[in-house]
This record gives sequence, C-alpha cells and structure tokens, in this order.
Amino acid sequence: MHGIFYDPKHDEIVVPVALGGAVLTLPGGADGGAPPLRVLQGSATGLVQPDTLYVDVAHDEMIVDSGDDSVLVFARTATGNAPPLRKLGGPKTQIRNIYGMSVDSVHNLIVIANRVDLGGRESSDGILIFNRTDSGDVAPRAVIAGPRTGIIKIRQVVVDEERGQIFATIKNNFENYEASAERPSPWNPDKTGFIGVWSINDNGNVPPRGVIKGPATGLVWPAGVAINPKDHEVYTIDSVSNALFMFRTPELFKKPSPVNDGAR
Amino acid sequence: MPRRVVLALFGCVLFGALEWRPAHPGRPPLRSLVADQRLFALERDNGCLDEATPAAAPQAWPDWAAAHIAGGDVPPARVIADPYPTLHSVAVDAVNDRVFVSDPNRHAVWSYDRRAASKGSEAVTPLTGIRGPATGMMFIAAVTVDPAAREIYTVDNDIGDRMMVFPYDADGNAKPIRALSVPHQAWGLSINPVRKEIAVSVEGPREIVVYAQNANGSDPPLRMIRGPRTGLGDPHGVFFDSKNNEIVVANHGNQNGRETAPGSVAPARRGGGGERGALVGGRFDEPSITVYPGEATGDVAPVRRIQGSKTGLNWPMAISVDVGHDEIAVANSGDSSIRIFGRTASGDAAPVRVIKGARTGIHGPMGVTFDVKNDELWVANYGDHTALVFARTAAGDVAPKRIVRNAPAGSPTVGFGNPGAVAYDSKRDELLVPN
Repeated sequence: MHGIFYDPKHDEIVVPVALGGAVLTLPGGADGGAPPLRVLQGSATGLVQPDTLYVDVAHDEMIVDSGDDSVLVFARTATGNAPPLRKLGGPKTQIRNIYGMSVDSVHNLIVIANRVDLGGRESSDGILIFNRTDSGDVAPRAVIAGPRTGIIKIRQVVVDEERGQIFATIKNNFENYEASAERPSPWNPDKTGFIGVWSINDNGNVPPRGVIKGPATGLVWPAGVAINPKDHEVYTIDSVSNALFMFRTPELFKKPSPVNDGAR
Repeated sequence: MPRRVVLALFGCVLFGALEWRPAHPGRPPLRSLVADQRLFALERDNGCLDEATPAAAPQAWPDWAAAHIAGGDVPPARVIADPYPTLHSVAVDAVNDRVFVSDPNRHAVWSYDRRAASKGSEAVTPLTGIRGPATGMMFIAAVTVDPAAREIYTVDNDIGDRMMVFPYDADGNAKPIRALSVPHQAWGLSINPVRKEIAVSVEGPREIVVYAQNANGSDPPLRMIRGPRTGLGDPHGVFFDSKNNEIVVANHGNQNGRETAPGSVAPARRGGGGERGALVGGRFDEPSITVYPGEATGDVAPVRRIQGSKTGLNWPMAISVDVGHDEIAVANSGDSSIRIFGRTASGDAAPVRVIKGARTGIHGPMGVTFDVKNDELWVANYGDHTALVFARTAAGDVAPKRIVRNAPAGSPTVGFGNPGAVAYDSKRDELLVPN
C-alpha cells in the first residue's frame, strides 16, 4: 500500500490496495484483523492498481488513482462493483503515474502528484491542478513543474486548505535503472529528498515557498506527508531510512503572498 | 471479506516511541545537501556500518538563491525509527555452517554461524554484514545461497529492481560480483543447482521469471510462467525443487484489476513496460500453493494447487521444500504460524503439522527454510528481532531449540518497510503509516 487517508468527520480509514485492485474503508479505530466496513472492487469501478487516494469530506466524494493513468471520483460510500461518478484522464490532462492526490474544497480544486519518467534521473514530474469537478480529457488549470521547482520524483501531496498551500514530498532520486546505470543509493548525500511547499495559486516553473531540506532534517527519500495545522506540524515517512519524522514549522503555516515568482 | 485483506493495513504509531534528538532552538540556513550524517551515525552506533562517511558532493540546485523560501534545514522535533536490523528472509548453508538473513530496515545481508544462539537477552554478533553504498542494496527482500560456489543472492522489492550476487566472504561496503535487472516487485528467489537456473517471483505482474543462474546485467529471462491459467496471485515465496524438477509458489491470492497477459513478455518496469491484459476487476482469491513443472513456460495451469479453508493459509510469505521427507514449509505471516504440508498434497488439504502459539516465539514470519542435514527448521521473524530454530518435526505450541537475536530482547520493532504514505488522525492524535 502506498496511500492512506483518515476521514475525521466519519472516523474512517480509507486505503487503496494496489495488488487487489480495491479500496477498503475501515473503522477509525481498527486494529489487528478488523474487517473493512466497505470494499470497492470490480470491473465497473475501473480500479486496476490504485496506489493513492483522497476523501473529499466536504463534498462526500472519494478521489482514487486508478493505477491506469486516470483519476476516478466515487461517492464517498461507494461499495462493491460501483462505477465512478467521474473520470479524469487522457492526453490533455497530462496525467501519467499518479503518486499522490489531494482536494482543496475551499478553492474547489484537485491536486495531483504526477510523474513522467524520461529515463535515468530525468523526469518531467510535477503538480497538476484541476477544477474539482473536471471530467474527461481536459487540460489542468495549472502545472507546477520545471527545473526551478526542484521536483524530481514527487510522492504524496496534501493541501492546507485554510492557507491555500500544497505540501509535497520530493524524493529527488530515481528508483528504476538498468544494471549498468549509476545506482541510486540511500547513502548518496547528493540526492536526498525534501518537502516542498507551494501556493495553491502557483503555476509554472516556480520555486517552492517553503522547504524542509538539508542534513539536519535527516530526510533521505521522504515519501509520505501529512500536516497538523493546529500544532504547526509536518509529518513525513521516509522510505529509505524507514523512519517517521515530525517537524514543528510555524513558518510553513502562513498564508502565501499572492506573488507567483520573481520577488520571492 | 477474507481476513487477510484487513491485515494489509499496517501500523498506527504513537508519537515519540523512539525519540533520539530534540528540536534545535536555532536552525542552520538552507544550503547544499551534504552527507546524511544521522543515518550513518545511527547505524555506526549499532555496529551496522564500519565504513567512513563518503565525502559530500555539492549539488547544483535550481535557481533558488533569489527566492524567499521559508523553512530550510530544519531538525525534526521527534523521530520514530528502528535502529536495529529487521529479519526478512533466511537461507541456511549446512555444509559451511552459515546462516544468511536479509534486512530491509538497514538495507543489508547479515551472516551468522549456523550454531549461534543468544544465551539470554543479548544479541548475537554476526560474522559478516554486507551493507553500504557500494552494495547497491535497497528494499532487500529475499536471500538465497549457492554453497558450492559460495555465493549469496539477494533481490530488491519495489525499489531497486535488481538481483545482486556477493561472494561468501563479502563484508561491509562490498560491491556485488554480478547484478541483474529483474522485473519490478520481485520478491522471492530460489536456485535449482541441477538446471543451473534461478526462479524469481514477482508480485503485481503475477509471474515467475526464470533466469540462467549466472545471468548478469540486462540478460533476458529464459522463460516466464504467467497468465490467467497459472493461478498465480500476488506470488511471494518460491522454491525451485531440483530433485522433483518442480517450481513451488506461495500466493497471497490478490488479483489486480487487469488480467495478466499470457506468456512471456518484456519484464515490466514501474510506470511502463510489460503487456496489459483485459480490464476484469480486482479480486481477493484465497491464498494458495501452486506447483509447476521445472521447465514450465507461459500460461500453464499448475500441476497441483493447495487452496481452501482447511489449509489455514494466510499471507504465505516464504516457502521451503524438504525433498527428503516430502514436505513443504510455509511462513504464514497472517496468523504467525509455520504450516507444514505434504509435498504432493493438493486441493483443500490440511497441514500435517502447525507450529504456532505463545511458546514458539513466532511473530509475523517472513522467512522459513529447512536445514535437512541437521534436521532443523529456521524461521525469520519480521515481528520482532529474532530468528528461531526448531526441530524439523516440531509441532504445536513448542519453544524453539535456539534463538538468534539481532537486538536486545524486548527491543521494539517499528515495522516500517519501504513506507510510502502517512496520514494524521486528528481525532486520536495518531499517525497512520501503510507499508
């Protein structure tokens, strides 16, 4: 499993099961062998190998990576072999390998962590932003990507709706390679990852508004990110050091300036 | 709903379980990345790393100098991690009296004297530990050995996509003598010394890929077992039985939303490659053990299949065959047991023996292997820091003959293994981490 969501309103945990083409919903306090409350699975769902998901509690919808280069939107309580309400995918969307997704219900947007591998360490990864109700093969309204972003191998994204910020984990390395290629190493000090923060209104090849990055952070390949705005904390799980890091960073929980670039 | 699907959710970790560094009052400015001193220091403290930290290399970062960027090189307020190795797969060389275990937590392979045992609560000192940047090991899964050639084989799962071969005497930051590109999500390994072949199980594509044992670099596989007739479902443990010329596979039973394309295909890489079958919808089939002829290729049905409620199979992670006594041992992680089946059993067959219970010390087993020469059975626990040695015929709730600890008794096991996401439960003030 490479995704998880906690729904505080309904006290439920929702997880994608990539190897079983399914989405499971469990009680918030589930432990041990507790059975799921709901299982979404079957040919009508369009779920192939879902890696990540997000529950839009405000609109009672569930946004799921199909594992097949598209975003599927279901009713939050969808179960069994239920078809999606909407599907977002196709060449205009630029959606390829989805590694993270989030919804900003305040600004009515869907935020996608998108990977486009170009071989080796090269990629065209970025953050795609769509209108929440977009459907079909439509272009994103904004794309945060390019060399100034520093985004190489993006993973999970989460939105601070109150302040309009996107938190993203950037692994800054590559995972697949030929045997003769340079080996990505968890010990390579030149290629450790970071957490980047962008405004929900950012667009284009723009630097992050904030970062957690550097040797003092202890981060190697940060993969997952969650936030606790109330306590100004950022949480990240690192897939190489197998460690859970908790940062207290009030400076990252400030409303970003409307300036998109340049002056920053 | 099968119980095993719920077990896919791992971890619900309370804050501060292993805090090792308080927050700094001051923060260094944003600068180029240098060596990850913490990872090295922690591992060196635990005797996991003898190598000097490599020199830091400057990284040319994007044009951020002119930008106003908040945060920077912020030390964490709290960290949860397991500083000790975790055990995944186990291989025994009874000829040379060596035992090898893979460690996905610290990206290593450790070897012990076969007769080693913890006298009490202390850890056993390994004979060798292969780890460090030169090894190329990432999320290491299986380990197996060729005692005649004195070679160690390991394979990476999910990140890495390589099989690496080391000599027996490799220790520390050693380079592999061979490295082979294998499909994404490889898990199990088994050598057939008669055929000079090696079988690799691959989870998501639901395939068994067979290579020449000396394959190297980008050498293609000799053949694949793959397709809807095979009954393969999220295969994990694999054993290439050279005496009976059969490939024995432990399947979790998961089937993703696309049917596997039948026959041999180009090895799939993450994000591309391979052939896509029809969209049929995902399924949770019952776990199973499937058996194929040694030369099987393509979309072939198994010659035998053990599957059903009497089997008790639940997350079968590893498998071993005792060809002398015609038995199959399964590391059944879902109920923390070792299940022994007749080698030729088929259908909804009950195990002939089960090792399970509080006295056994079995906790989330990931590895199992027979030591036929010494009439023993080895178990690698992922749920704590131990490998256990039982009499080959042990059954029921029995204590192991020996315990090999790689951490002091009682050391907590966090259980993170290539984690990819995190969620905050604001109601319970807890963090949720799926593996």
